[in-house]
Amino acid sequence: MFAGAAQIVAIGMLKGGASVLSILLTVLLLTSQHLLYGLHMRAHISPMSARWRVGMGFLLTDELFALTSHLGPRNFDRWYALGVGLTFYLLWNLFTFAGIMLGSNIPGLANLGLDFSIAATFIALIVPNVKNLPTVICVIVSLLASVLLSYFQVEGALILSGLAGMTAGFVCKRYREICT
Amino acid sequence: MKAWLVIGFMSAIVFMNRYVFLEPRLPLRLGRNLRDFLGFAVPGLLTAICAPIVFLPDHQLDLSPTNPYLLAGVFAVAIMLWKKSVLMTLITSMAVFYLLRWLL
Repeated sequence: MFAGAAQIVAIGMLKGGASVLSILLTVLLLTSQHLLYGLHMRAHISPMSARWRVGMGFLLTDELFALTSHLGPRNFDRWYALGVGLTFYLLWNLFTFAGIMLGSNIPGLANLGLDFSIAATFIALIVPNVKNLPTVICVIVSLLASVLLSYFQVEGALILSGLAGMTAGFVCKRYREICT
Repeated sequence: MKAWLVIGFMSAIVFMNRYVFLEPRLPLRLGRNLRDFLGFAVPGLLTAICAPIVFLPDHQLDLSPTNPYLLAGVFAVAIMLWKKSVLMTLITSMAVFYLLRWLL
């Protein structure tokens, strides 16, 4: 298992008593951008041997994609990608383990405000995506919907507002294409 | 038990999402509509996850200027727009967050 956002959300949903199906559906949507990564990296990776493909498939995170996607076919170095990917995976597991150890030993860890670090990380990942009007609309709709739905404690608030934002962005994009 | 079930299925879903288009025997491609729709997955879903953390600390709507989550969140957006560095945004916005929590 190597998917930060999905793991954090799943823990939150498990704690909140969400059903297995709704958790899996959220995870499916939340990690669906990896379909696009796979599609993008297809030219580089699909000619490789099965062993390499499976390894790269496992390691292909947002971060690895961010570091390798701009490389052309000549510059794409599989050993570089493997090194980066394995380093991320090793550190991810090390710090998760440290978190488990510390979490059960430090009292009041929940009140330290570490949840802000999640928000800060996501903000840092979202901002570079917001390059045009459709993504602005997407983010605004998603934000308003999730605050509203979470406030009224609607079941599946995350997935519903995420989809609402995505739909708004998509519609806006198509609408602009028609108008221009 | 439920947790292990979720972990097992999650691993499979995440891996399939990443691997399916790396498989050379797969001939199909995503349609343009689905591809464009999925293009909004990162901003749409990540926003939906982090908005309640920022606007609803302790599950209470807090739009006041003394909400450290909100202020530090706005700061994080600004510093990311300005410096375009994930690491710097994380470090400085965490520092601002704890400073505000201590002050307010």
